[in-house]
This record gives sequence, structure tokens and C-alpha cells, in this order.
Amino acid sequence: MSARTLRITLLVLTVIGVGLATYLTVIHYAGIKPLCGRSGGTCEKVQTSQYSKLVGVPVALIGLLGYIGILGTLLVPEDERSRFATAALTLGGFGFSAYLTYREVFSLKEICEYCVSSAILLTILMCLSLWRFLRGGDIPAVPSAGAGEDGLTPDGQASAGGQSAPLGTAS
Amino acid sequence: MTPVEEDEQDLTRKQRREAARSERKAAEESAAAGAARRRRMTQLGGAVAVVIVAIIVILIASGGGSNGTKVVKAGSHEATEKAKVVEATLNGINQSGNVLGNPTAPVTLQYFGDLECPICREFTLGALPKIIQKWVRAGKLKVEYRSLETATREPETFRTQQTAALAAGKQNKMWYFVELFYHEQGEEDSGYVTESYIQGLAKQVPGLNLTKWQEDRSDPALASQLQSDTQEANNRGFNGTPSFLIGKTGGAMKKLEYSSLSEPTSFDEAIEKLLG
Repeated sequence: MSARTLRITLLVLTVIGVGLATYLTVIHYAGIKPLCGRSGGTCEKVQTSQYSKLVGVPVALIGLLGYIGILGTLLVPEDERSRFATAALTLGGFGFSAYLTYREVFSLKEICEYCVSSAILLTILMCLSLWRFLRGGDIPAVPSAGAGEDGLTPDGQASAGGQSAPLGTAS
Repeated sequence: MTPVEEDEQDLTRKQRREAARSERKAAEESAAAGAARRRRMTQLGGAVAVVIVAIIVILIASGGGSNGTKVVKAGSHEATEKAKVVEATLNGINQSGNVLGNPTAPVTLQYFGDLECPICREFTLGALPKIIQKWVRAGKLKVEYRSLETATREPETFRTQQTAALAAGKQNKMWYFVELFYHEQGEEDSGYVTESYIQGLAKQVPGLNLTKWQEDRSDPALASQLQSDTQEANNRGFNGTPSFLIGKTGGAMKKLEYSSLSEPTSFDEAIEKLLG
């Protein structure tokens, strides 16, 4: 998978996550019942449980801020630091999702479809962004002088042969 | 050495130098790549460690494991302390069935709650004591406790706990039971509401005749009252607790929208408006 394809995939998944978290944040503040796939309103019970807030902040809002952060790291020109930021944020998001899933299954014994969808999204995002970070930039066909095989100069900055080109340009 | 041999030797030396340079360059690139990989692994390791620590902190802060109930045992020092707080809140206020306050108070507040609901606890320990102090003690407001199942997952458990409270109401001590339940509430849906838990609460209600209370728990009128409360909540479109209706006593009741459950501002404004 090319760096560009990988980045676009990550962007699409993150935008879906932003949409999901925005919906949950809006219904939380508007006091609207969430639309559940099943009858019985189990997602409403999860959304209104004591675990729906963390130190007074709705977890939906924390999720939204997390997704916006991930989106930010994907929109800035790509380099070693932005790849690390994406990986670190998705790792944090995955950990937080794991905690919320634990609460759903073991504390509330209810499943919220939106939370499960977000957990799946974050798992995929984390796997892809870790892979992206560990493999570094695209390996240039002919390494430019002073650049390592990952297209990075010794100080960790992307070289011309790397993929610091903004999204939408061929790398 | 002939000129041809000298040229060949020069060429071989040149090739050797180039080969050595290529090897050196490859070794340097390989070392740089190895260092980059190690650096990335170290950075990721740090990020993983931070995430794990954060999750542990969140788990501890949000109530530990799934069975982390903190049920207060009847007769314990903690139970005595909580009973003192409840006594201080309710002492000297008239109680009649599910009603707290002067029966002829000009304003009525209906509080729809589930005894296992943590947000109801937030209200009962937050805004309610201030409302009681300011309005109920002054004889201007009476509060009716009504039941709506939300946080309690098992309908049978809900029926048992709510009728236990209503049974205390037959001795005009329902509000002691309700307040004690919220003060000693365990972790939501952890199965802490057992018969011994309910019996333990009843023992803490001052002056409750336990034999009569036990008999009254099976009174069919209490089950009917629960159904009536649920019906009213459904008619009003309530799907969460706490929910409130407020109005002039004997008049039409309107849904009360609140901005906070820990501060009584919304309640104060609504009561002041009704009192004119």
C-alpha cells in the first residue's frame, strides 16, 4: 500500500469517526434519544449511565476531540513527527475504547452499537497508523544524498525523496 | 610492469575503492535505518506506557473493577454517619406516604426516580437538600417521590426495591428509606440490591416497625402505585430519571427542565414563579 493510499484510508476512517462522535455529542447535549439498531434502547442506557462521563466531561465529547486530533495529524504535511502523533493518538483512542468496551460488557452488561463501531474504527486506525509509523516514509527508488532508506535525513526530517508532499500530490 | 599491466592494476585499485565506498555507504545506511527503527520502537513503547498508565488511572477513578460495589453495611460506622446526614435533612418534616412536606403546601414537585439511578443520587445528595431546606421546611413546597425504572436492569429487582420504599411510606417513613438508599447506593447494575441489603436499609430507618413493614411489602396496592407511576411517566414522555413535574397543588403539573442537579437554581426559579 502506497503512503498516499494509506493516508487517504486513515483520513476516510477518521472522518467517519468524527461523524459518529459528533452525533453522540449532539444527542448528549440535546437530551435526544439515540437511534438504536435494536429495540429496548440499550444504547440509551449506556449513553446515560454513570460511565457516559469522565470527570464531568461526556465521553462522546472526549471521543470527538480525539478524532479531531487524529484528523489534524493527518492533514498536516507528513513527516516522522506527524506519523508519530497519529500513531500515539490512535493508540490512546484504542486504549480508551478498550476501557469503554470493558465498562459496557462487565459493568453495564449492555452494548451500544455506536461505541462498538467506534471501537472497531479505532482498532483499524491504530493498526494502520502503527504500521505507517514503523515503516517510515516511502522508500525512494534512488536514495538522495544524505537520506536514509526511509527517506529521512539523519535529523529525522523527511527528505525530498520522502513523502512530505501534501495530500493530493503524487509521492 | 608494462603500461597495460599498470592500467589493469589502476583499474582494479579503482574498483576496489569503489566497492569499499559502496560497502561503507551500505553499512552506514543500514546503521541509520537500524537506529531509526530503534528510535521509533522506543517512542512507541513510551506512548504505549503512557496509555496503559492513563487507562489504569481512569479505571481506578471510575470505580475499579466490575464488582467494586461499596455497599454500606447496616450498623457500620459509615452507615451511622450517613443515617445522621439523612436525619438532619428530614428531621421535623411531615411525611405522608410518598409525600415529604406540608400536605397543604401551595406548590407540588413530583420527583420520578429509580433508586439505583446514579444521576438521581446526584440530585438527592446535591440540589434536593437545599430545596428541602429552603422551600419544604418553610411549608411552601411538598415533594412526591414516584417510581420510573431506568437504571435497574431487572424489573423484579426494581419492583422489590421500590415497593420496599413504599411500604416504609405506610408508616410515613418512605423518605428515610429513599434518602438512605441513595446515600448508600452501590455501583450501578452490580447486583448489590439483595434482600439483605434492603433489610439492612430498613433497619436504619428510625422508628420503623420492621414486622409491619415486612407485611406491607406484599400489599397489592403498592404494586398498583408503581404501575400508576410508570403510566404517568409514559404519558409525560419521560424516558430518563430523574424527571420532574411541578405545579400548584391540585392544579395542572408541567414538566420541569433543569440546568443542574447539584444546584437548585432551576427549581428555585420554577417555585418562585408558581408562588407569584
